[in-house]
Amino acid sequence: MKGFDYFQPGRLEEAYGLMETLGAEAGYIAGGTDILVRMKQKIIAPPALISLRRIEELARMGRDRGLLLGSMTPLRALEKSEEIAASYPCLSQAVGSLANPQIRNVATVGGNLCNAAPSADCAPPLMVLGATLTIGGPGGERTLPVEDFFEGPGRTVLRREEILTGIAIPERVPGTGSAFLKLGRVSQDIAVINAAALVIMEGGVCRTCRLAVGAVAPTPLRLRGVERLVEGRRPDPELLAEVERGVRGEVNPITDVRSTEEYRREVSGVLLRRALEQAVRDVR
Amino acid sequence: MKKTIRFVLNGYEVTAEVAAHKMLLEVLREGFQLTGAKEGCGQGECGACTVLVDGLSVNSCLYPILEVEGRSVTTVEGLLGEGNRLHPIQEAMVENGGIQCGFCTPGIVMSAKALLDEIPLPDEARIRRGIGGHLCRCTGYVQIVESIRRAAEKMAAQGERDS
Repeated sequence: MKGFDYFQPGRLEEAYGLMETLGAEAGYIAGGTDILVRMKQKIIAPPALISLRRIEELARMGRDRGLLLGSMTPLRALEKSEEIAASYPCLSQAVGSLANPQIRNVATVGGNLCNAAPSADCAPPLMVLGATLTIGGPGGERTLPVEDFFEGPGRTVLRREEILTGIAIPERVPGTGSAFLKLGRVSQDIAVINAAALVIMEGGVCRTCRLAVGAVAPTPLRLRGVERLVEGRRPDPELLAEVERGVRGEVNPITDVRSTEEYRREVSGVLLRRALEQAVRDVR
Repeated sequence: MKKTIRFVLNGYEVTAEVAAHKMLLEVLREGFQLTGAKEGCGQGECGACTVLVDGLSVNSCLYPILEVEGRSVTTVEGLLGEGNRLHPIQEAMVENGGIQCGFCTPGIVMSAKALLDEIPLPDEARIRRGIGGHLCRCTGYVQIVESIRRAAEKMAAQGERDS
């Protein structure tokens, strides 16, 4: 790994200023468990890193009707949160399946999103939970739904100086159930496919359905076509079979070292069907 | 870019002048001659470099050295008790065949320490999750899990006697 400078600003404005001064090749670093690996593999060689670990406002977890997560919240804090386990099981399950304890102790929820891996485990659950992202920059703040954040593998809407500062998850309404499922070669592996489902049920009928899947397209994907199929109906075997077929038609996977296009297409249908079934069972 | 940092290392306040791009592992091994933590993959997959930072297990090969400023680092060397007595986790690894070539051992001992500090008597599934970030190339996982289970039991019994 080549040498680099390392800055540790204590405030957001300081971080934006450093990025403006240091120029195009500098990078922000959160937990570092992805960017440092890419630097060691000589895929990138930024001459300077700006660490976000000392910016206290980014590491807060709080409430404002729903849940507010600072982007620098370590995955471990999410994993241990009883509130997340109770109100947002799909997120709890995703974090619990992500990598291993040493990584979860330093990796952050914001870092997982900003790396924009198509397989990012935090993305599908945050999508089905209807999370909103807050992005800060020298010009001020903007907010957007999490599904509008990703542009392609490793690419997001973030402009160079901008920082993902927070994630807002709406309050859970009664009658909601959610689930996350992941297929890896071994447990805790990078996902071959991951999937999240959320339903809001009313009298046995699915009023709202949100489905998202990762590692089967250039970005994590909301499956809006399949969601429309589910809404207003009972989750019976006939509908579940339609869901499986619908998912296979809506995903756009590739073949890589972890799996083939055909396998991903076939199994993403199965995984989404199971996630939907589990979400329905989770309804409280 | 060089900087002077202060942190607590195995219970002692230390100061070090370090290059900003160094990882904690390099400074431990080359600066402080603490060679218990090993570099295996260097990419956060194998866990051979695991140490505790403020009590949490981390891969020191991916931990920028400037981030330890003001924190407390514990390496396997820091587990040694009075009169050079091994820690109960280390003793259990020796007694139960938890060590073969030994390369993964210091890291696994540190993850076991972090696990037992949090959950004194974990079941087998919890132990396996706790060491999920480690590879043992001798594949002696069964004995490693057994060693951690025995260490937990011994430490719990000891704790009851002491209280």
